Amino acid sequence: MATRAFQRLPTAPAGRILMLRLVAIILSLFIIACVLALSGHSPLMLAELIIHSTLGSRFGLEDLALFMCPLLLTGAAVTVCGTIGLWNIGAEGQFYAGAIAATGVALGVHGSALTVLPLMTIAGIVGGMAWITVPTLARAYAGVNEIITTLLLNFIASLLTYYLTTGPWRDRISGAQVSTQRISVSIPEMWGIVHWGFPVAIVIVIGLALVLSRTRWGYEIRIGGANPEAARYAGIPVRLRIISVMLLSGGLAGLAGMFEVAGTVHRLQGGMANNFGYLGIVVAVLARGSCLNVIPAALLMALILDSGIVMQTQQLSASVILAITGLILFMIAIGDELAHYRPLARTTPQGTAAGSKVS
Amino acid sequence: MITLLTGMLATAVLAGGVLALAALGEVLAERVGVTNLGVEGLMALGAVSAVITVFSFHSPWVGLLVAIMVGAVGGMVFAFGAVVMRANQVLCGLATTFMGLGLSTALGHNYAGQPVDATFGHVTIPLLSAIPVIGPAFFAQNILIVPIYVLLPALVHFVMFRTRHGLNMRAVGENPAAADAAGIPVMAMRFWYVTLGGAMAGMAGGYLTLTYVPVWSEGMVAGRGWIALALVIFAGYRPIIVTLSALLFGLVTALSFVGQAHNWPIDPAFLNMLPYLGTMAFIIVPVVVWHRMRRVMAAPAALAQPYYRDVR
Repeated sequence: MATRAFQRLPTAPAGRILMLRLVAIILSLFIIACVLALSGHSPLMLAELIIHSTLGSRFGLEDLALFMCPLLLTGAAVTVCGTIGLWNIGAEGQFYAGAIAATGVALGVHGSALTVLPLMTIAGIVGGMAWITVPTLARAYAGVNEIITTLLLNFIASLLTYYLTTGPWRDRISGAQVSTQRISVSIPEMWGIVHWGFPVAIVIVIGLALVLSRTRWGYEIRIGGANPEAARYAGIPVRLRIISVMLLSGGLAGLAGMFEVAGTVHRLQGGMANNFGYLGIVVAVLARGSCLNVIPAALLMALILDSGIVMQTQQLSASVILAITGLILFMIAIGDELAHYRPLARTTPQGTAAGSKVS
Repeated sequence: MITLLTGMLATAVLAGGVLALAALGEVLAERVGVTNLGVEGLMALGAVSAVITVFSFHSPWVGLLVAIMVGAVGGMVFAFGAVVMRANQVLCGLATTFMGLGLSTALGHNYAGQPVDATFGHVTIPLLSAIPVIGPAFFAQNILIVPIYVLLPALVHFVMFRTRHGLNMRAVGENPAAADAAGIPVMAMRFWYVTLGGAMAGMAGGYLTLTYVPVWSEGMVAGRGWIALALVIFAGYRPIIVTLSALLFGLVTALSFVGQAHNWPIDPAFLNMLPYLGTMAFIIVPVVVWHRMRRVMAAPAALAQPYYRDVR
């Protein structure tokens, strides 16, 4: 009988995870390079072009920051939900809801940026929260799978955006398709086209990390996620914590939508969520449940998105990026599992071998 | 009124067929304890590969066969991650959806918007098609409707609940450790049923572009995979109920078509929301109204849990 050479550990050591993730990403890049080479592109030339135009130019870096801003917030949204063991797959919809609510304020309220921007911020957060309310209550009180309910609302939000931007809110001034007119206020810029939403998003992520690790609320959330039964036994109101965490998650995604409207796109547009909600899931997975890790994870994801722009100039469809992200996510999922395994030393299996001989 | 009803049911049968196939495949995967969240992506791959194949072979049968095979390969990729490597099923499923949606858009780029020239034509079954309302919907549309609504669910139901193999299969989903101890090959069972489920998702995608919407466009699967996943939960993982609920669901979709055709004073965007709103209602309302539903329609006990033989 062959002896087991590996042992599965309940928790994987962080160093091993990091190493296997690097392997996973390199392997994904290798597969992508092979596919590109087969379809007649030169992977090396493309890589050089991508590095040059993302990290090597000021425009590239500005774009990077603009991509990072919504990813930080949607990534944080999925991460906080994950802390209590739930998946918010609906950040895309909450993003739209926040964007719609913020645009509604911007189109309806006339005033200086000092009054309109805070109102838009509140509207964005409330919009995102409102969008996750039904899945939240269904999860907390009836145990309905939140993955599917949050996801279905994405399609409804996207249709609602389409309706508003082609119907009541359509651009009557310049006649742009599936878009509202340019809103009058915007988040001030701090560096080139990078607006102040970017540092604010980073501060929010750091703040969340502190709240989750340093407050009683954060502790209860983590216990509720790690062991719901134990949490209930210890008197933690798990149901209320689920509601508060999911609403917070929706609010964060809604805020991302508001930032995008007021800082980057300056209008409500069909398709403006740009998969930020779905990519937020990838960011959260990369971050492994830690809000601080959301920052480097969002940076990596933004780099991938940024290189998507370069690939589009090389006659590669933008959707290739989604496939690449999927591949990396797949490899990382496998890598994370493999990180749990530890090779057993040569001497240990002898005991089991002897034991099996007796039985 | 009768013509309206007939037309609605005919649309419902077509729209529901796509969901029925995908959902039945997912029932197989979830009954052996694996949640495949990649259905949406596999359907997109099936849909695009059917279109591409038909453009060079001009036969819907070849198109459907390729869609099934592509779906099976996609299912195997997912199963490699989620079953063989035992990685997190939610992540593998989402990754499969991302890969499927991204790849299908990239592959279908040159075919987008071109009508498919060889689709499954009308086949009228004598006698049966003369039944009012039901006849034209079920027996006078395309040849796949009877297999989708009758043969496949009946077969799955029979195998799952009337054979030893079906008992083994359910045992793997309920308690893999016990099944393993009884000598049932847990991993093989999971791998092949997930692959079969993937093949059916691919077939659902192919069926979509070869009958119902005979043109490829980006995002055309439009959440049908996710709706199918919701139907599986709604139907309590039962093959016949899942097929019936897919039909019920087709009716919701048909309602939005009828609304647009008859110029109801509702914007088409809102009518298009009906399937998603309907799905939400489907999975929330029954559980709220009837609390015991949760136990009656409970998921397989080991759903979404990887099986480790060696964890002690």
